[in-house]
Amino acid sequence: MPHTDGPAPELFTLDVVTFVAGGRPILDGVSDHIHEGHVTAIVGPSGSGKSTLLRMLNRLEEPTSGRISFRGTPLPELDVRSLRRRVGMVAQRPAMLTGRIDDEVRVGELALTDADVDELLTRVALDHIERDRHPADLSGGEQQRLALARALAVGPEVLLLDEPTSALDRKAAQSVDSVIAGLAGMGLSVVLVSHDLQRAAALTHDALVLDHGQLVDRGDPAHVTYLGGA
Amino acid sequence: MESTTANIPSWIGVAASATLVLIAVVISWRERLGLGREVAVAAARALAQLALVGALLLFVFDRGGLPTAFAWLAIMVVIAGHVAGGRARGIPRARVHAWWGIGVAVASTMGILLALGTIDAVPRVVIPVGGMVVSTAMVTAGLGLQRTADAVDDQRARIEARLALGLAPREAFLEPYRTAMRTALLPAVDTTKVVGLISLPGAMTGLILAGVDPWDAIRYQIVVMYMLLGAAFMAAVLSARLAQRSLFDDADRLVRAAPAS
Repeated sequence: MPHTDGPAPELFTLDVVTFVAGGRPILDGVSDHIHEGHVTAIVGPSGSGKSTLLRMLNRLEEPTSGRISFRGTPLPELDVRSLRRRVGMVAQRPAMLTGRIDDEVRVGELALTDADVDELLTRVALDHIERDRHPADLSGGEQQRLALARALAVGPEVLLLDEPTSALDRKAAQSVDSVIAGLAGMGLSVVLVSHDLQRAAALTHDALVLDHGQLVDRGDPAHVTYLGGA
Repeated sequence: MESTTANIPSWIGVAASATLVLIAVVISWRERLGLGREVAVAAARALAQLALVGALLLFVFDRGGLPTAFAWLAIMVVIAGHVAGGRARGIPRARVHAWWGIGVAVASTMGILLALGTIDAVPRVVIPVGGMVVSTAMVTAGLGLQRTADAVDDQRARIEARLALGLAPREAFLEPYRTAMRTALLPAVDTTKVVGLISLPGAMTGLILAGVDPWDAIRYQIVVMYMLLGAAFMAAVLSARLAQRSLFDDADRLVRAAPAS
């Protein structure tokens, strides 16, 4: 649902979220909100805990302490499989899982008709690709967009994107960015992780800046302080 | 020797055959392979282990009944599970999965053969035939668990991509599971394919050495091959399925592999 006036409802609520791995704190008491209908960037240098935070939002990781809620319900109280269908995720270098484009779109939703597949591929600007091509033969940018279609196929309310363009060249990155902007324009909530605030700023409403596991700033991407490098 | 039974080597013959071990040690020394000590230890261990087993078998065949034979098999299953499970670093409770896989495979295979009267229910038959089943089940369960553990390392991204689409662990793990099972089981299938062409298998060789007619010996061998095939599939699939359950936690997350020690 597109966000119009007034404060956007909270999609995710982070409540003193801490994550410790191997005795080392990866996230240290992070509290914040992620709003519905927004594109939110989690930015920070590598090792700042931003990918871990993203993976917590669909429970691929569990906080050591603290609590994350989705639309007001603590994540552990939701059925994890239905949560993951509501909260889609695309990795930095998404794994291609099948031998055909149309099968790839159907991995999470076998019942899609050919028309559904066509529509999803159009949404990610892959309508020109032959359906029987091997996904592994596509370029990096095309694979990234195919992974977006695969995630959209299950009808998520929000998409989590881990560095969606950092492994791509400029042109491919722009093609992915424009697809993300298109999805956001249609009201889909997006949370993306990036080490490059400038890149992300054009797409996003909010930025959460992490450093050494701590939330050091948050707000309008044009005004937050982030000293990390590209 | 007048009987049809082959001439079984005397202890003097055994001592004479140790010359061959000596040749292996000399080769190792001449070629500086650094294996001389290990060869000697291996040969000594083989002697000690087989002597012990021979004495125990003698006792079980003479005095122990069928229950002793089954107890013997049970001990073999425990040892086999320990070995097979030890190969799967990163899989929680791997030894327990291996014990179940091997145990069920051995119990089912032997149960079927005994129930159908294909083999005799006497210790002299149950122990060696059961031993073959345990050994095959151990190899395939171990290989299956090892390949399953490798899949967790190599294919984590693919498995998590499926989990992230809301698929159940069983579905998310299907592809690596099937690959692991094919890799683990193909040797057993191949061995069955080429039996008699490339190698004369142990049971048949033993029977022929003992003076049994080859036509009778092959019938025994066919039963052995079929039972090993069944046992291999049961052991590998059951232990890998159990392993799969322990690889995911209650939030459908793939467990982290324990650091290799």
